[in-house]
Amino acid sequence: MLNYLSKKIRFWQIQNQKTNHENDKMNKQDNTQNFSQSKISLNLKENLNNLKNILGPSDDIIMREFAFGKKAQISAALIYIDGMIDKTLVNESIIRPLMYDSRSSFAEESLEVKNIDIIKRSMLSVGEVKQVTTFDEVVESCLSGDTILLINGAQEALIISSRGWESRGVEDPKTESIVRGPREGFSESLRTNTTLLRRKLKTPDLTMETMTIGRKSKTDVCLVYLKGVVNPQLIKEARQRLTRIDTDGILESGYIEQFIEDAPFSIFSTIGNSERPDAVAAKILEGRAAVLVDGSPFVLTVPMVFIESFQSSEDYYSRPYYASIVRVIRFIAFMTSVLGPASYVAVTTFHQELLPTPLLFTVAAAVEGTPFPAMIEIIAMGVIFEILREAGIRLPRPVGQAISIVGALVVGESAVSAGLIGEPVVIVIALTAVSGFAVPAQTDSGAILRFVFVILAGTMGGVGVIVGLLGVLIHLASLRSFGTPYLSPLAPLSPYDLKDVFIRVPTWAMITRPRTIGWKNSQREKLILKPNPPPEKNQKK
Amino acid sequence: MKIEKGIIASSQLTFMIIGFIQASNLLLSFSSGIVSHDAWLAILIAMVLSIPFVLSYAALGREFPGKNLIQISDIIYGVYLGKIISVSYVFIFFALVCQNLRYFSDFLITFIFPETPIWAILIMLTFISAWAVRAGIEVIARCSFIIIAIASTIILATSLLLLPDMRFRNFLPILDVPLQDLIHGTHIIFSINYLEIVVFLMVIAFVNKPKQIKTSMVGGLILGGVSVLILEVRNTAVLGTVSEIVSSPSFVTARYISVAEVLTRMEMFVAIMLITTVFLKVSILYYAVVLGSAQIINLRSYVPLVIPIGISAISFSIILAGSSMEQIHSAIYTWPVFILPFQLFPVLSLFIVKIRKKFKKRWANKK
Repeated sequence: MLNYLSKKIRFWQIQNQKTNHENDKMNKQDNTQNFSQSKISLNLKENLNNLKNILGPSDDIIMREFAFGKKAQISAALIYIDGMIDKTLVNESIIRPLMYDSRSSFAEESLEVKNIDIIKRSMLSVGEVKQVTTFDEVVESCLSGDTILLINGAQEALIISSRGWESRGVEDPKTESIVRGPREGFSESLRTNTTLLRRKLKTPDLTMETMTIGRKSKTDVCLVYLKGVVNPQLIKEARQRLTRIDTDGILESGYIEQFIEDAPFSIFSTIGNSERPDAVAAKILEGRAAVLVDGSPFVLTVPMVFIESFQSSEDYYSRPYYASIVRVIRFIAFMTSVLGPASYVAVTTFHQELLPTPLLFTVAAAVEGTPFPAMIEIIAMGVIFEILREAGIRLPRPVGQAISIVGALVVGESAVSAGLIGEPVVIVIALTAVSGFAVPAQTDSGAILRFVFVILAGTMGGVGVIVGLLGVLIHLASLRSFGTPYLSPLAPLSPYDLKDVFIRVPTWAMITRPRTIGWKNSQREKLILKPNPPPEKNQKK
Repeated sequence: MKIEKGIIASSQLTFMIIGFIQASNLLLSFSSGIVSHDAWLAILIAMVLSIPFVLSYAALGREFPGKNLIQISDIIYGVYLGKIISVSYVFIFFALVCQNLRYFSDFLITFIFPETPIWAILIMLTFISAWAVRAGIEVIARCSFIIIAIASTIILATSLLLLPDMRFRNFLPILDVPLQDLIHGTHIIFSINYLEIVVFLMVIAFVNKPKQIKTSMVGGLILGGVSVLILEVRNTAVLGTVSEIVSSPSFVTARYISVAEVLTRMEMFVAIMLITTVFLKVSILYYAVVLGSAQIINLRSYVPLVIPIGISAISFSIILAGSSMEQIHSAIYTWPVFILPFQLFPVLSLFIVKIRKKFKKRWANKK
């Protein structure tokens, strides 16, 4: 029956697509008649009228008409969008040379500047200038912040790169703060972000492929990888998935993530994201590809494997022993956050004999007199915690403190003293909540799994929890992220990559790149890099 | 068109076999009731005896690379006889699925959920295995490493923690039982604990390096056998003669663990080990049933068969035996004899293939 339904839905979708296509065609035809393929004409007035029709009456579009030449005989116009251009650049490097310097250089005989090349070559002191012939290109680049120079009597327009707008500078990353390591984070501007990566990896192999996605938003999306290290198959796949996106707008990298991920129905994310240039650079060095999206400080990295969520860039900056301990602690924290409430419910409802007798008495005494069964208590407290968390994030900071007081005092303390819930429940929920944040990348999947496991534990006890774990294991083992098995290097086992899973071996021992990702060219450093200080000299007698 | 597109590594084959044999430690009590404290000897003999059989299974797989049991018997015995053989094998695997499900559910009901109806547990276990089977052999193989890592850790940890409770006097006198009983006990372990890996003839076709099948199968057999041996030695050393009477010695043994009055009640971990490994074993058998029946009736994909076969497995396990004692009785006295021909049959097939090859060569030489 499900099959039947899904077939129906597919059929319906295809029909919808057809009608959509037709609509699109109609739209396109309309647009075509208006401007897209029409060429720029010789007459400046006509061109400006055309542009005015296309761009509409918005008042942030500036059309500055002027004249230049020895006797100001050549009329021209500059078109740009106020706020998206660098004003000093336009004033100093475009208008000034044209209006002042051109008086000396244009002889009287060249009344009509047929060859716009001269201006491009000898007058404009700007880095990037392009020549185009259609309105389509003119409008597109004008909207993305370039300045257009139209000249009477020329069939070509000059697109002068003058983008410059207010943007946030490079700041501390808000989400992944670390103690030791670089303090800079990605910002919203794509150029800034690519620069941050370039500055980390100064090699010609670092390739950045830019494409524009979004019918209306025309967002620049940049695919970054290290040629020679990355698996070419991966890049092919990523490129293909990115180009098939056809939607109105891309406002954040999250949009892209949902369009290109392998398992759209899974609660686990198969695409990593980071706000730290150093983390992204490290992933690129391992043979991954990064997707930078204009307007978002979160950079996507593919492929992502499950254990990546337990790695932090600080692990690699601090010394290996403590880093390994911290990593094991993260695994424990994740297990606690997922299984903590479930095991409490299972033990108190089904397997009381598993508790040591003194502890059993304590728990029994604390729970005695509370009106609800353990499962209901845990679920209610879990939901309350999620509410507090959500409210705490959205509220302005000064009010946020009130939330924590309400949460800690009213909900925790008073509910216990009023006898509504037992103290152990508060302890379990608090512990769970704290440990959930130790693994930021899996916080959302952890929160969902927690509730599922609590329900399993409340209905089927410990066996239900274990069966649920097996289900999660099967699901994780069946996931792939851009061709890489999600549970690798654990399943399928690749022993060389275990150096960076539960323990983090010293940097000089990380000789190979992860084989499951960039199996090509897998040695990344010289074999004998272990620090070997000279033996102590015999002390003088 | 290939019915299964997955490829498994030879190391994953080893892991799967280890897990498969570890799962059968639940069934050790069948023979320990007969050979009492000499069960370790029976395990050892059975392990040595099963190595040549496993080698011949691997050789049969090598003779027909990329072909599984169903296709092999079609090739060797022709379409009609081959189909009859395939159907009986699929039926045997199906019966094994049901027996394992039933026995494990009985164990859970006896020790953990005395008041839960059996179908609830059966549905849960079958559902999770069906999920794995639907996902394909690759996923089962990937899960196998994590499962045997957990199981082996639990076996080793409990064995170490039980060292103070072990009394090796319990093994004396060695060879206390009559020869007939020893043979009986060995046969039970041989055919139930070890040679059920005949089901891997359905799986080894997907191994990426056919040359390593032999090593990985024998390696898996020995490693799995050793872990079962450790368990048996532990159980006998801790429980002594009691191990003959209890129906699940490994579970009962773990109750003896008590480190400083804090680390107690470790039997929950043994239950975890049993659930995970039995899940692996049932999934592999279940997969073989589903794949085999899909191949017999020439389906393009085995996925539509997963749920019907799962439902029939649930009902068949419920009617399999009136009580768990009845099932144990059949496992001790009828099942080993019943299944033995199916375990010997691949050896016969290998024999036929070899002889045919020789004759073909001779004919070719004569011409």
